[in-house]
Amino acid sequence: MSKKLIYIHPAPVRVWHWIQAAGIVLLVLTGFQIRYAEMVGIMALKNAITLHNYVGFVVIANYFLWLIYYLGTGKIKIYFPDLRTFVPDAFRQAKYYGFGIFKGDPNPHVMTPDNKFNALQQKAYLGLMFLLLPAQMISGVFLWRVKGYADYVHYLGGIKIIDTIHVILFFFFAAFLIAHCYLATLGHTPLAHLKAMFTGYEEEH
Amino acid sequence: MLLQPYKGFFDGKGLGDTKKIFKERRNKMKKLKKRTRSMGIAFLFAFWLWPALGLAMDNGECLDCHNDEGLTREQGRGSLFVDAAQFHDSAHHGQGIMCIDCHADIAELNYDNDVPHAKNLAPVACSSCHEAEQDAFANSVHTQISSKGITMTCYACHDYHYATPLAAASVGQRDNNFCAKCHNPYQSHDWLPKKEEHFAFVECTVCHVPEVQRHIHLKFFDLVTNQFYKGEDILAILGLGSDQFMPMIDTDNDGTISRPEFEILELMLRQKNVHAIFHAELVAEMAPVAHQVMRGGAERNCEKCHTAESPYFEAVSIVLTKEDGGVDHHQVDRGVLKSYSLSHFYLYAGTRVKLLDMIGILLIGGAGCGVLGHLAIRIVTLRGRRQKKEKS
Repeated sequence: MSKKLIYIHPAPVRVWHWIQAAGIVLLVLTGFQIRYAEMVGIMALKNAITLHNYVGFVVIANYFLWLIYYLGTGKIKIYFPDLRTFVPDAFRQAKYYGFGIFKGDPNPHVMTPDNKFNALQQKAYLGLMFLLLPAQMISGVFLWRVKGYADYVHYLGGIKIIDTIHVILFFFFAAFLIAHCYLATLGHTPLAHLKAMFTGYEEEH
Repeated sequence: MLLQPYKGFFDGKGLGDTKKIFKERRNKMKKLKKRTRSMGIAFLFAFWLWPALGLAMDNGECLDCHNDEGLTREQGRGSLFVDAAQFHDSAHHGQGIMCIDCHADIAELNYDNDVPHAKNLAPVACSSCHEAEQDAFANSVHTQISSKGITMTCYACHDYHYATPLAAASVGQRDNNFCAKCHNPYQSHDWLPKKEEHFAFVECTVCHVPEVQRHIHLKFFDLVTNQFYKGEDILAILGLGSDQFMPMIDTDNDGTISRPEFEILELMLRQKNVHAIFHAELVAEMAPVAHQVMRGGAERNCEKCHTAESPYFEAVSIVLTKEDGGVDHHQVDRGVLKSYSLSHFYLYAGTRVKLLDMIGILLIGGAGCGVLGHLAIRIVTLRGRRQKKEKS
């Protein structure tokens, strides 16, 4: 079996990814503590709020690290699907995950540094990075200083509306974490993608 | 903390030599007395029926002198002016309290003297009426500080003559007019997250008086004008008298405005083109025990409030002021706190919307089930893939 290594994840991306990973895990954990204070006993509510706020700002800063890197290198285009081939590509990829993977079929998407996401990943990460994460960051900042941003909060319908957006996205990110971690085991070996996210190199098969 | 013994004009320092002013007053009073005497037997009969007036001293007589803005004590420090209009709106006047009920050592007015009553009046004994408040205050940190040479009087917090009813007052009115006179909350709550929000929505005594009963006040707030609607305005808009409000809104007559009834109230207001939001605040019940502010006894357990079944939110009321100065509290089902009817009120864990929890269960549960299902099929089909690999 040939084992050609390709450099898929440059260092800034890996740094961003693991800061993001730690940040989202902490935000989800403290988020559960804050929303279900009487049921969850990870830490005191006060500490959970303080930690949630600090980590939230780290994740916001990290978002700009990601944005500057991808805009600066022009690699941001990997997040945008090719509309001419998106539908058949996405269908083929979904068919692979839902059927072919169990039979041992090869992954229809071949990872390259310039095209590392398959069609489904592109669609998911495009929405995630350009819509859902910014919405979560903005709603989080509003919840951080409700009085300071009172005019915006009132304009958007009130704190409970902001909270609703933040909480639904919180559940989404919690669900995403589960799915993301599982999907990371679908490489040629269960730990291949995880290893690549540390070393930067994926093995080409 | 900076507290100074309050130097009020009822502190027994005397009224001083105000000869020039009182000469004019004395002449005026003499004329008034003559006029009063000439009013005849009917008035005398009325005075006989009312012992306080029987002393021929009503508030008007006091205000004849004390409505002069320039009236000061001899030393020139401390005004002796009483604003009649403001006094008229005060809680004491609302209760029919006369000047001489508090200034009880004024037995009669002698207009032959420079000052028609004793120059040195006894301090007003608030506790003669407010006994329970005095008892609570005696156990408070504000009494304990006397050991440091700081004397707190009732007047340090409460207005002399213009104490207004507080039952419908907002958190800002309650705190700014009392605690914030001496205390800057931002200097002493380093441990508290979200200070600005807490200070805006929670009255100081809610945390600082462990024994006090708390409740949520709901008031109508207009975001356009940035002002609260007065209760009487809301009643006028709805075309209801204060005694007609509950019979109209509480259709099942259980004494509580349920969530559906609350939504009907919102609809009624919208039909009248009122787009007010419900402004919710956590306040302390107006009871004597509210004076028992404890040192080190403040509630610091966040989970006391921030829990779905917090006892602090058992009582939720719509507060309606009435034209006669009275206040009605109309009980509301606490469930409205967890609804979008109160879209401008939210506290972590305490007012969770259940629908969101169900969405959360579906999202996270769906992801979990999807992952487990996929993993199970991968495990079951593992042998087939191995065989295929070996063949190739």
